[in-house]
Amino acid sequence: MSHSKKAKIFNKNEDKVNWHDKALWFVREKRDVAANKVKGWEHLRDYASGIKANVLSNLDNYLVEFESNAIKNGIKVHWASNAEEHNTIVHKILQKHNAKNIVKSKSMLTEECHLNPYLEAQGIEVVDTDLGEYIVQIAKEAPSHIVLPAIHKTKEEVDELFQEHLGTTPSNGNPEYLTNEARKHLRSKFLNADAAITGVNFAVAETGGFVVCTNEGNADMGAHLAKVHIACMGIEKIIPKEEHLGIFLCLLARSATGQPITTYSSHFNKPIEGNEMHIVIVDNGRTEQLNREDFRSSLHCIRCGACMNTCPIYRRSGGHSYDATIPGPIGSILSPGKDLKKHSSLPFASTLCGSCTNVCPVKINIHEQLYKWRQIVVKDVKQPFVKKVVLKITGWLMARPKLFNLLGKSGRFILKYAPRFVVYSKLNAWGNARELPKIEKQNFNQWYKNRNKNG
Amino acid sequence: MGREAILNSIKKNKPELVNIPKIDIQLFDEEIDLVETFKNNVQLVGGSIAEINQINNLDSEIKKLYPNAKNIVTHIPESNLGTIEITNETTPHSLKNVDLTIIKGEFGISENGAVWISEDQFPIRVLPFITNDLVILLQKESLCLHMYNAYKKIFDRRRTFGLFISGPSKTADIEQCLVIGAQGAMNLTVILV
Ligand code: SF4
Repeated sequence: MSHSKKAKIFNKNEDKVNWHDKALWFVREKRDVAANKVKGWEHLRDYASGIKANVLSNLDNYLVEFESNAIKNGIKVHWASNAEEHNTIVHKILQKHNAKNIVKSKSMLTEECHLNPYLEAQGIEVVDTDLGEYIVQIAKEAPSHIVLPAIHKTKEEVDELFQEHLGTTPSNGNPEYLTNEARKHLRSKFLNADAAITGVNFAVAETGGFVVCTNEGNADMGAHLAKVHIACMGIEKIIPKEEHLGIFLCLLARSATGQPITTYSSHFNKPIEGNEMHIVIVDNGRTEQLNREDFRSSLHCIRCGACMNTCPIYRRSGGHSYDATIPGPIGSILSPGKDLKKHSSLPFASTLCGSCTNVCPVKINIHEQLYKWRQIVVKDVKQPFVKKVVLKITGWLMARPKLFNLLGKSGRFILKYAPRFVVYSKLNAWGNARELPKIEKQNFNQWYKNRNKNG
Repeated sequence: MGREAILNSIKKNKPELVNIPKIDIQLFDEEIDLVETFKNNVQLVGGSIAEINQINNLDSEIKKLYPNAKNIVTHIPESNLGTIEITNETTPHSLKNVDLTIIKGEFGISENGAVWISEDQFPIRVLPFITNDLVILLQKESLCLHMYNAYKKIFDRRRTFGLFISGPSKTADIEQCLVIGAQGAMNLTVILV
């Protein structure tokens, strides 16, 4: 399904969309307050971007350095070219320990590899222990945001889910009560887990150690109680030196939620005596993206979610409309690299307003890359298909005057590629009356205003 | 498979070497009151602050703060409140009913209210997470300004497991309502001495 179709589904509940929009903007504002308090914020962003550029240019050597240091510390290192290899490796480790009950903390990579369904098919129970991920897991959905996985759910919906799955009493969606009930339930899962799977926020070449950041403490509860800890990471998670964490940890939580730092920034260097610690290093299309000069820097991403919170389209279309593990602006750059045809609508799901680029802590030129993908889509994907996609997005956008106001240049771009009948279709309440302006002469907002004036 | 394929693909696809930036740490220096800033930030992240003038007052302060705690793990000689002994051999699961844990923080960071704690302060890794409430004893003189100083301080450590901890465990996953006490400790007090 294209972005616009899914967005339309999300937009059926107007109150919810308005809430979603405002809630994310609120997070964006908290980010601004936090960033403004830091002396040298822009220098931090420059350094972070520079370090990541260095990492990508020397990635093979850093990975080898990381591997040898990790092995010295008793960590077992595995390499997976793609999702299947990743899943098989994880499964083999679990099999060796006869592990049937698994707790997992947030890891977008394991989502990307569809690890849960793979393991479940082998008779292994995987419980997502981040509260937001737990909510979407029992709802049988995917996360709609990389930092706030259940941001699309109302508290009443969570209440109902918990009644069904945890036997809670109806509480009108009392967040304290529901969180506490989840805590009790997840405690028993942690205490009975045979193995814990976590993501990796940063892996340090110099030391062979890695850092996992959470607010809930769920990664640590899992990793320190179970006999086996498996940490899964994309190749781009490497940073050269431990001192560079000083830069990245300063940026990450502030960009994500406006907190000065996550509650727990755990540094794993050695397994607990008698336990096992594994790291699975995964490519799954990343080296291909490394080859694309225009899109390479998308691999800088530290998954803070700031570009989603600030994006006017994301806020009003919801994460599920992107139909990809990583939604939002950054997802719209990463996904076409994996499957251009499937995700060809995503680069158009943007007003190119550049807000994402402005907030990105590692200075990825997100909106410019979106523009570049559009040109590739138009060139490489069959025309009828492109038109169909562009037309749908256009229709969706045009039905939302507030968003359309933001379109600017990109609106003119869309108009250029959208066939006439879409622009004048019923969807567009104000397109019916007259021809739209010649795109190169007038900006759309201007035209809309004039049109109102002229009645 | 795997390793060689990935490394070869990187070699083929990576750009020319980009130099690693030299970081001028002075850009982040500020003239601020380390203690006051630290105290404000601990509260900002949902933690509590207590101050004692002398270490002899530690236990009475803790009793005042946590009058109902029964199962207590103390891993510092300055406190005699401990009711549960732990060693390297303790099974982590046996700590599931710990009400209160008292440990030492190595140092604190003013700009974000975080405290560095490591396996040197708690022989069982899960302890500061599984305990219901956590008290960290911290020397005022240990405070540093920012993360960059912090990594200088821990550079020479014995690297096993350690963390920056900033406030109690929390979540806002239900409609963005902040709830303190998710999967880790429900409550954190930093006692400054
Ligand atoms: S692209 Fe930038 S802003 Fe978006 S999630 Fe990644 S790091 Fe954050």
